[in-house]
Amino acid sequence: MIRPIEDMSSVQNPANPDLAASFARYVSHRVPEATDVRVLRLERIHGGASRETWRVHVAFDAGGELQERGFVLRRDPPGSLIETDRATEFLAYRAFQESAVPVPRALWLEEDPRWLARPFFVMEEVTGCESSPQALLAPPLAAHLEHVGEQKWRILGAIARTDPETAGLAARLEAVAPDACWQRELARWERVLDEDELCPQPIGRAAIRWLRRHPPPPAQRISVVHGDFRTGNFLVSPDGTIRAVLDWEMCHLGDPLEDLAWSLNRIWRWARDDRAGGLLPVPRAVAIWEEASGLRADPAALRWWELFASVKGLGIWVSSAKEFADGANHDPVLAFTGWWLTNSQDRAILETLGRLA
Amino acid sequence: MKPDVDRTLQLLAQSLLLELGPGLANDYAQKSALLAALLLSSAAEEWDRAAERRAEENRALRELFRAVTERGVEDAALRDRLDAAARATDASLRVSELERANAELRALLIELHAHVEEVATPDAREIEARIWDELRRSTERRRLSMQPF
Repeated sequence: MIRPIEDMSSVQNPANPDLAASFARYVSHRVPEATDVRVLRLERIHGGASRETWRVHVAFDAGGELQERGFVLRRDPPGSLIETDRATEFLAYRAFQESAVPVPRALWLEEDPRWLARPFFVMEEVTGCESSPQALLAPPLAAHLEHVGEQKWRILGAIARTDPETAGLAARLEAVAPDACWQRELARWERVLDEDELCPQPIGRAAIRWLRRHPPPPAQRISVVHGDFRTGNFLVSPDGTIRAVLDWEMCHLGDPLEDLAWSLNRIWRWARDDRAGGLLPVPRAVAIWEEASGLRADPAALRWWELFASVKGLGIWVSSAKEFADGANHDPVLAFTGWWLTNSQDRAILETLGRLA
Repeated sequence: MKPDVDRTLQLLAQSLLLELGPGLANDYAQKSALLAALLLSSAAEEWDRAAERRAEENRALRELFRAVTERGVEDAALRDRLDAAARATDASLRVSELERANAELRALLIELHAHVEEVATPDAREIEARIWDELRRSTERRRLSMQPF
């Protein structure tokens, strides 16, 4: 949304003048009618260790009218939690615009490093929302948890229901047969463990062997899989409405149960009770998803994907620990996840396999 | 070292959390400081137990390997390595040395676990149960008070 600047007292000098100046030049390039482009505010947003995320407010003259526009810039970092394809994330945002799945408006994908030294993409800013689980669980948003939960799994059902072909994603994402989804994903995350583990992972390896011995049924349909759909990866407005689903960098085609299982994983039960995502009892979340997706969450198949979700989680935490230890990325969130979540994820594996008691 | 290392780390964490962090200029820096404070606090918790938990686990794994070799392992090469590991001891209480030995022992545990899963005998099931019990204990030893689960 472009709006005239009414109150210049809110303007802050950007803390990173080089990036600010470069971004202003890029906006001039992308918005030819804009003149005198200036970055008023440039703030790094915490989290999203897979990419640097910046909030940028820009002012410019457009046909004699001074306007201000808010952007979110997602720039490739020197190192990241997961090696992802920025184009995939950008395309996913584009695919779900004007759909039942709320997303920020994706504007520009730029892979030429001459602009900001590293590839990036730009979205419109969604304002006045919270995403952190801690903010959701505290007043005043805590009063809306049930409502947020109902939307969360309804939206996830809508993602599962989306036809990848119609959404324009089938041609851009790697195809997979219904009976091959589990093998491809398991092989992918086993490879991450092989390449990134800093020490042996006997619990994760035992889980992988179990998953191979007990394959799930073929996917009911090939769906768009968000890949990281969890509390913390969507924006909620003060009235408890989910305004945008974020972090599509692990989006792929696959079994929709993969997303459901990830959303239910023990690690995301932020309220430290049995509520999935800190929001709803698991059976309720599953029932909402089933209704919205038109699919059935077969308990045995869902259990397979829940165990797989913990292997995938372990892969992410092990990778984050390696990124930090290698010195490629100093964001403390990488060490934090390596220290805290690796063991939690191991315990989640034990719980799923009935080996924790 | 006085003040004690764990006490020092806890106080630094408090200072970062309550005094230095809130004074930082932007949200990203404040949240990074918060995470750094939580990491310092976890480091303080780990400091006091670091050598003990590793030495305890190495003993438990060697004892497990000893019990397994006494029952007999069909794979001769694996049996020899289990036997050698069971006979070894930790010569140093340096955390880095204990950690190195722990990594070797846990890698061998993975091999043993995969092996017994393929053997259909009551003995194998009993060994497997012991392995799962040890894996559960390993998560208790590593558990940090602030971790989510």
